[in-house]
Amino acid sequence: MITQRGFVVLFGGVLLLTSGFVFVNAYLALLGVYLIVGLVVTLPFFALAANIAGIEVDRQIDKVKVFSGDFLRVRVTIKNTSRRHFDFIEVWDRYPETWILAIGENFIASRIEPGSSMTFSYILQARMRGRYFLGPTEVIMRDRLGMHYFKRVLKEKTEVLVYPTWKDVRRLEAMGKQRQLGLMFGSHRTKTVGMGTDFAGFRQYVPGDPFRLIDWKSSAKRGDMVIKQFEMEKNIQVVCMVDSSGSMGNGYPENTKLEYAIRAAVLLTHMGMERRDLVGTCVFSDVVHSYVPPSTHPNHMYGVLESLAMVEPSGWSDYESAVEYVTRQTRKRSLFIWLTDLEESPAPLLNAMKTVVANGHKAMVISPFGPWFEVPVGQFGPVEKVLAEAVSEELWERRSKISRALARFRIAVVNVGPADFLPTIIKQYEEAKRMGVAMF
Amino acid sequence: MKMVTWILRILSTATFAYMAYLVYLALDESSAWGWSAPYDFVVTVFHLLSLLAFFLSVLIMNGLTAAIFGGQLPDQTIAWLYNTLVLKFWNLQPYGVDGPISDVNLVFESFQMDLIGVMLSLWDNTFSFLFFLLAGLGVALFLQSLVRMDHKFSGGAFLSIQSILIIGAFRGLTVPNFTIFPTDITTFLTSSPQILALVSFAYLEFSYQMIYSHSVGKPVEDREETLKTQLLALRQATRKQDAIERGEKVRTTAMSRASGATAFSFLREAIERKMFGSTEALENLDAVSDVRRLQHFVNDLLLSNPNAREELTAKAAAPSESYVIGSTITGSAMRFLGVVAISFLMMSPALFVSMLNLPPGVEYSAELLELEFILIFLLPISLLFVFVSVIIGWFSQREEVEVVELTKEEKEAIKKRREELKKKKKAAVKSRRARKKAKKRRKTEEEHDEWDKALEDTYKR
Repeated sequence: MITQRGFVVLFGGVLLLTSGFVFVNAYLALLGVYLIVGLVVTLPFFALAANIAGIEVDRQIDKVKVFSGDFLRVRVTIKNTSRRHFDFIEVWDRYPETWILAIGENFIASRIEPGSSMTFSYILQARMRGRYFLGPTEVIMRDRLGMHYFKRVLKEKTEVLVYPTWKDVRRLEAMGKQRQLGLMFGSHRTKTVGMGTDFAGFRQYVPGDPFRLIDWKSSAKRGDMVIKQFEMEKNIQVVCMVDSSGSMGNGYPENTKLEYAIRAAVLLTHMGMERRDLVGTCVFSDVVHSYVPPSTHPNHMYGVLESLAMVEPSGWSDYESAVEYVTRQTRKRSLFIWLTDLEESPAPLLNAMKTVVANGHKAMVISPFGPWFEVPVGQFGPVEKVLAEAVSEELWERRSKISRALARFRIAVVNVGPADFLPTIIKQYEEAKRMGVAMF
Repeated sequence: MKMVTWILRILSTATFAYMAYLVYLALDESSAWGWSAPYDFVVTVFHLLSLLAFFLSVLIMNGLTAAIFGGQLPDQTIAWLYNTLVLKFWNLQPYGVDGPISDVNLVFESFQMDLIGVMLSLWDNTFSFLFFLLAGLGVALFLQSLVRMDHKFSGGAFLSIQSILIIGAFRGLTVPNFTIFPTDITTFLTSSPQILALVSFAYLEFSYQMIYSHSVGKPVEDREETLKTQLLALRQATRKQDAIERGEKVRTTAMSRASGATAFSFLREAIERKMFGSTEALENLDAVSDVRRLQHFVNDLLLSNPNAREELTAKAAAPSESYVIGSTITGSAMRFLGVVAISFLMMSPALFVSMLNLPPGVEYSAELLELEFILIFLLPISLLFVFVSVIIGWFSQREEVEVVELTKEEKEAIKKRREELKKKKKAAVKSRRARKKAKKRRKTEEEHDEWDKALEDTYKR
C-alpha cells in the first residue's frame, strides 16, 4: 500500500519525467527516474520484512467488573515474535466511545526489534453501565521513509462489565458521615433518629443481661438495677420492579428514565442491605429478564448489580407476566415498588396490581414522567413548545386517570422527574419502614 | 533520538543548500537571476491595471455623455472639460500617457498600442518573477520542514526548487542537461547534471529520514510530557477544589487554556459540564469526587507499582539511537546504490541492447537515442517491483488472516442465553393466552368484576 507521501513522490517523478520528455532534457528525466525507482525499489524488501503476523498484542486490565464512573488501567504489550525488526510501528488500542481517556494515551509509535516487546498503559474512566469491549487494536507498519504501509486490525477484545453507578450510594454514605460528625445538625426536621434505636421503656435487670444495657442513672435513682429497652427492629421485604420497556429508554443517554430507575434500584438495595431488610429486584419488559429474589446474603448486591448492568430498553411492559413470575417465587408479604413510566394500556397494569393485592402484598408506583426527562422546553421553538405542552397535558391527564384508579385500591402513584427520583425512593422506603409495611 | 534528528537536520540543510546553489549556478549562466525582476513584475502589473482602469473610465464617461447628448459623441468642449476634470485628477498616471488626451479616439488608439506592449513585457517579467517566487517558496517550505517535520514541506521544497529548472527548460534557458547520455558509469557519476540529480535525491532521502527519526522517538517523548501535564493539571484541580471548600478565594485563571491543563480531556469535560472549578461545584459532588478519585487512583497506582510511571510514559519503548543511526546509514546507502545503478541502466540502455542482441536496424536506430526510450524499460521494471511485492504481500497476508474463535464456554453461554430468552418469551406468550382465556371465562361467569368496574368508572368520568 502506498501512502500519501508515496503518491507525492510518484507525482514528482512523473512531473519531472514528462517535463524531461517535453523539453528534451535528460537531467529532468533522470531525476524523474530516480524518484520513481526510489519509490518502488524498496517495495519488495518492505513486503518481505513487514510480516505483520509477527506482531502480537496482549491487553491486560486490573478489573473486569467496574462501576460506572470508576477508573481502569489498561496495559498493552506489543511483542515482535518474528525474526525481523520493524522500523516504524503504530499501535492504536481502541476503547468504547462513551468512555473517557483520563490519563495517558491509547497510542504508541516506535521501532521494535526482533523478539523484543514494548509496553504502554493508560487510564480510562468507564461511563455508562453495560457490557463493553476494549479493542480491537490497530497496528500500522510503515517503512522508514513512510512511503508504504501495511495495516492489521487485531480483533482480540477484552470484555468489561460496567455496573450501574455507585455515586448515589457514595453520596448517601457521605451524608451519613456528615450527619455523624454533626456537620448537618439542624438541617433535617425529622424526629426519627433511626430504626431499632427507639426507646421503649425500662425493666428490671435479670442475670445474663448484657452490662451495656444497664441504665446507671435510673438504677441509681431507683436503687435497683434497671435495663433500658428499645423497640424491636422492623424489617421489611421489598421487591423493586424495574420496567425496561422501550419507552423507558427515552431521554439523554445518561439521564433516561431507565437509568434513573436502575440507580433507584441500586440505592434501594444498598439501603435495604444496610438495615437488614430484604430487597429483591425484577427487571422486566415483555418478558422477565432477570429476577434476584430478596436476600440479605453479602453477595446479594453483586447479583442485583449484574442483573441491572445488562439491562437494555426494549419491548413493551407486560406487567401481568412480571407479577405472575415474581409472586410465584415470593410467598412472603412484600412491598412491590414499581419503577415504570406507565406508558402501556391501563388494563394490564390494573390486572397486575390486582394480582399483587390479592396475594397479600402491598404496592406503590414511582413513575418517571416522560417529558421531564426529555429535551427541556426552553430549547424548543414556539411551535414545538406548544406541541410539547399539549402532549404533556394529555399525558398528565392520562396519568391522573391511572392514579385515581389505583388510588381506590390504596396504591399510590408518585410522579417523579430527574431531580426528585432518588430522594423520592429514599422517602418512600423510610415511610414504609416507619409504617411497618410488609414486615416479615 | 534528538541527536539523530539533529544530525539528519544538518545533513538535510546541507543537501538543500547545495541543491539550491547548483540550481542558482545553472540558471545564472543564462542571466536568469535579474535582481530587479520582482520589482519589474510588480510595476508591470500595476501598469496593466492602471491602463485597464483608465480605458474603462474613459469608456464609461464617454457612454454617459453620449447618453446625455442623444447618442452623439461629445464635442471638443465636453471632451476638454472631461479631460480636465477627470484626467487631471487621475492619480495613477496611466502607462504610456503623459498628459490629458483631448480626443477620445486617441484614447482608444493609445490603449490598443500600449496594451500589447504591456502584455509582452508582463509575459517576460512573469518568468523572472516566478524563479524568485519558487525559490522563496522552496526556502520557506524547507524551513517549515525543519520545524514541523512534515513530508509535505520537504516534498514541497524539493518540487519548488526543481520547478525552477522545469520553467527554465520551458523558456529555453541553459539548464543542466546531457547532450549525449554517457554510456560509461564513471563519466555518468562525475557529470554535473548527475551530481545535481544525486544531491536533489539525497535531500529528499535525508529529509524523510529526519522525519522518520523524529516521528519514531517523538511519541514516547510526547507521552512523557502529556503525562506530566495531566498529573500537574490534576493536582492543581484538586488543590483548587480544596481551597474552594475551605472558602478561600481562587483565581479563575489558575487553570488557563494556554497551560495545557484544558487539553486534558477528563478535566476539560468536567469544566465543560460546569461542574468543576466554581463555588457551585461544592454542590455537585459527582464532578468533584471524580477528580479526587482519579487523583487517589493515580497516587495509589504510582505508589504500589514502581513500573507504573514507565508504562504510562512507555519510556522503555524508545528505540536505541545507535541502532537507528546504523540502520539509517546502511538503508540510505543501499537505496542510493540501487537507485543510481538501476536508473543508469534504464537511461543508458546499451547493456540491454547488447544483451537482447537486437538487429542492426534497431541497434543503430535514432529512436534508441531518444529520451522516451526510457519508458520501454522504466514501466516494466517499476511494475515488476510492484508485482513482486504484491506476490510477497499476498503470501504473508495469509498469515495475518484473523479468525475470531470463541471459546467453547463462550459459545455455550451465548447458546444458553438465546435459549433462555426463547423459553421466557414462549412462557410469557403462554401465560398471556391463559390469562386471556381465564378472563373470557370469568366474563361469562360473573358479570361485574370490581377492577374492571374501577377502570370503567375511571374512564367514564
